[in-house]
Amino acid sequence: MNYLIHILIMISIYTILSISLNLPVGYTGLLSLAQAAFYGIGAYAVTLLMMQAGINFFLAIVMAIIISAALSLLVSYPSIRLKGDYFILASLAFQIIIFTILYNWMGMTNGPYGIPGIPRPEIFGIVFDSLPKFLALSGVIAIAVIIIAKRLYSSSFGLVLKAIREDELSAISIGKDVRKFKIMAFAISSGLAAIAGALYAVYVTYIDPTSFTLDESIFILSIVLIGGSGNLKGPIIGVLFMILLPEGLRFLGMPDSIAANARQIIYALILILLMRFRPQGLAGEYKLG
Amino acid sequence: MVDILRLENISNSFDGLKVIDNLNMNVKAGKISAIIGPNGAGKTTLFNLICGYLYPDNGSIIYKDKDISMLPPWERASIGIGRLFQDIRVFKKLTLLENLLVTFNDSSDSPLKAMFGRRDKKEKEKIESSLKWLDFVGLIDIKENLAENLSWGQQKLLSLARLLCGNFDLLLIDEPVSGVSPSMADSILGKIKELRSLNKTIIIVEHDMDAVKEISDYVYFMDSGKFAASGSPQEIFGNQKVIGSYLGV
Repeated sequence: MNYLIHILIMISIYTILSISLNLPVGYTGLLSLAQAAFYGIGAYAVTLLMMQAGINFFLAIVMAIIISAALSLLVSYPSIRLKGDYFILASLAFQIIIFTILYNWMGMTNGPYGIPGIPRPEIFGIVFDSLPKFLALSGVIAIAVIIIAKRLYSSSFGLVLKAIREDELSAISIGKDVRKFKIMAFAISSGLAAIAGALYAVYVTYIDPTSFTLDESIFILSIVLIGGSGNLKGPIIGVLFMILLPEGLRFLGMPDSIAANARQIIYALILILLMRFRPQGLAGEYKLG
Repeated sequence: MVDILRLENISNSFDGLKVIDNLNMNVKAGKISAIIGPNGAGKTTLFNLICGYLYPDNGSIIYKDKDISMLPPWERASIGIGRLFQDIRVFKKLTLLENLLVTFNDSSDSPLKAMFGRRDKKEKEKIESSLKWLDFVGLIDIKENLAENLSWGQQKLLSLARLLCGNFDLLLIDEPVSGVSPSMADSILGKIKELRSLNKTIIIVEHDMDAVKEISDYVYFMDSGKFAASGSPQEIFGNQKVIGSYLGV
């Protein structure tokens, strides 16, 4: 049972991450390789705010969202007016810089040793210290993020983002400040990723930089590409697929060392097949490229 | 009648080649002006200068008595200068209705309002306005279709509806009837003529001289980045210089 709850908690966290990345990728046409950096910023921000400033988790999570959204400007502000490929490079650079900072800033992050003993969230005397309680917390937050994303996607703001994705020049010609909209979309995406990071930190109660690497960014992007982007169901199906697939492989009786490699090969095969036969992903709306 | 747009001695060059050469133009509000001329004369460059996709090397662009020469294109659009591109550029994965709804520029574009606020009370008005313009161009019955499923001519009509829905005062329309069937061309020209009564100011670039004669109040003949002649359609199409160098009669 605990195993199942753990899987559901991870599905909640990755649902938030994939929805967060869907906004720039599927709605604005901005391919980002920095999502794990914002995930990490959220995790470290909440951890440090809780452990060093004694701030309650629920206030810390709000502050982490703001910090992450503000830091996203470092990528978006200088690079968003550049063509797509340069934005990818800028996001990649940001991912590497954040990882390097997390890894080397011993005084703040404890570097590669990580930060253990992160306290569990608590509100009105309820401590989320058991798996079922944590599932309730992560589930409620994931559902809240889904609702917010749904509102965002179906709003005038979402429509403008879709228009920008379809034809930037045309969006400009009807009076849309495309740069501003892209910066806002990327900031919201970064803020949402920070929520996932915050949940991860208080769930695992230990964080270190290896959870927020470029590999993790590529994994999150793979979820969105395999599930599909440009609507709400694509990223969620992507999460179910990518989280449940390795778990399914376990039941085939493969040794862990082989299963890990088999998983990578299967991901690669699926990505190649999707690019060839279904570029919009399993349930997406937007075809990349 | 007031000039809604004034171009004062504007010039523009690419790699040392002067594409727009010290050009002046006064556009009367509520009238349809046509710009004709051979390929490479600078017509589309002129549109790009007015819309802000290019900035003039010299001179001023005055719109409603305000110097907009250095304003970015989205800001020019937001103060009323709309553009229908030669290659149309509808939002293909949006429905026809969404193509029009997206033209509204107001506070409902705010992401915070979208995430946490109440639904915009103006939403109904926006839908009604969009439907009105879809009806105007005869596309209301397929309002939920994706724009990518429209024919070329229908996409032109949708672009026109989008311009009208966006409440632009000055419409720059680049080759409205190129590549469409004669019946669709008649339909598009008919709609453009109707806009006169809505007090819209229109500048078109068009190679179809019958279309120009039919709808324009004033014609500019452009050659080598300058207006070589201008006047009423009768004057221009009777001008020997225009006939000799462009109309080829």
